[in-house]
Amino acid sequence: MEYKVSLGPQHPALHEAVSLRMTLDGEVIRDADLKLGYSHRGIEKLAEERSYIQNIYLTERICGICSHSHTTCFTQGVEQLMELVPARRGLYIRTIIAELERVHSHLLWLGVAGQEAGFESFFMYTWRDREVIMDILEWISGNRVHYAMNIFGGVRRDIDELQRKKILDSLELLKKRTDYYLNLAASEPTFVGRLAGVGKLSREDAIALCAVGPTLRASGIASDVRRDDPYAVYSEMPFEVATADSCDVLGRAVVRIKELISSYAMLEFLLKNLPEGPFKVKAPRKVKPNEVYSRYEAPRGENVHYIKSNGSDKPERLKVRAPTLANYAATIAMLKNGFIADIPLIFAAIDPCICCAERLVQLDDGRRGDSRVLSFSQLRAMANERAKKIDFKKRKIAWPF
Amino acid sequence: MNPEAMLEKIAAEAGDKVLEATLSVPRRIQLKTQPSQLNPLLAYLKEAFGLAHLGTISGVDLGENFEVIYHLSNADTTVNVRILTPRRDPRIPSVCGVIPGAILYERELQDMFGLVVEDIPDGRRLLLCDDWPEGQYPLRKDWKFERPAEIIPGGK
Repeated sequence: MEYKVSLGPQHPALHEAVSLRMTLDGEVIRDADLKLGYSHRGIEKLAEERSYIQNIYLTERICGICSHSHTTCFTQGVEQLMELVPARRGLYIRTIIAELERVHSHLLWLGVAGQEAGFESFFMYTWRDREVIMDILEWISGNRVHYAMNIFGGVRRDIDELQRKKILDSLELLKKRTDYYLNLAASEPTFVGRLAGVGKLSREDAIALCAVGPTLRASGIASDVRRDDPYAVYSEMPFEVATADSCDVLGRAVVRIKELISSYAMLEFLLKNLPEGPFKVKAPRKVKPNEVYSRYEAPRGENVHYIKSNGSDKPERLKVRAPTLANYAATIAMLKNGFIADIPLIFAAIDPCICCAERLVQLDDGRRGDSRVLSFSQLRAMANERAKKIDFKKRKIAWPF
Repeated sequence: MNPEAMLEKIAAEAGDKVLEATLSVPRRIQLKTQPSQLNPLLAYLKEAFGLAHLGTISGVDLGENFEVIYHLSNADTTVNVRILTPRRDPRIPSVCGVIPGAILYERELQDMFGLVVEDIPDGRRLLLCDDWPEGQYPLRKDWKFERPAEIIPGGK
């Protein structure tokens, strides 16, 4: 008998509201369907009525974890439209913030993966280390989440000598810990056993469904915007694109840990070679009619902004495609023929982190053919009601232990 | 293959499918084509240059026409393929046959601009809510949001 189970759209543990409807055959998912739009805020429409400077802060609020990704993608696009060459020191600081953000996002993801796999101490470890990065970001920018660092022509705040030394010291600590995690992810049998073979996405599917970021790289494709279409100062830095061939959640974890290690090396390079000079240059207010397609490698994958200007101080059109949207089509492919118990792990592996849903259950009665939607409290009340009616003495239930 | 060589190869091999081909900034090629030639052109680009990754599809309201831009990327170049469709009868062909990952972007275009994507495998709404009125397309330039007047229950 086939069941339909609905996950979401809202749950206290969800980062974003997404509704997922699955057709189950026993415990195996036969088909899955996504419904989006629960947190659609009309930012693209709103951007057409705001000036370019206001839009930096608007795009920052598209996402909480990769706030710097969206502003950088927007800022570098508008700088291209303005034909403005940003200050070199500004570009370095922009890249430092970008890599710090990648480190904190990947550490957050590792913790979430550990929690979904039932490895709670891993979650505690990585989130403790993430605080080191959060403190650095707060020290540089004044904020933990929305750093508001970007401005056309550079950045808004400088990094001083004391901050530079402190960040380099903190990196030493994080490097040691991350080496330990890589060792753990590769050798801890329970962790490896839980993640290996879950959420398979073949190389061909990953290309056909236009997956991005660590999801794509874990399927064996070395694609990274930082190397393919270098922006900011990535063309000056040597780095390896991390890939894995296992095409599963374990591969995605390994790719992210490898990226952490390469991010530390990049941060070290950037901080040691930080050029002297101004950190921003003056930018014009109005922009000539033109258009630009700006790409950026966010922690979750390729982030894309298409900006069209019309000669005024407001954009004619701003189109944003965040990495998670690109990965949804691939997620459906990963879920098919997987187990219901793997849903949180597969969903977390593309990094929007959707936990086990228990709030809404749609019960389909196969015999009567009708369906109803129950809230979790109703479901619990039904269970309690049923438990009260059972006469345990009459049924002579043997205690299993 | 560098973008200049790519542009020459496109002009030589797919000249009949392309109306206009330019290299605007480094690593960005702009192509213009007819809606009827879109699928053959994308299939050719995928075959010849490995342009299989569709970044997104951008819709732009130009007044008389809608412009639809397909942003394709490979390891070193991004190609923007654009088509125009009239506002009176906005129809574009679905590219899901060539690029299966385009489905969510095409559904978004239907929601936001009211374009009719022909032969789309799954044409349901994606982003707009279920009780959104028919015929309202938020990203068209003539669509304005008017905040309903606030009524305080029991107020004067």
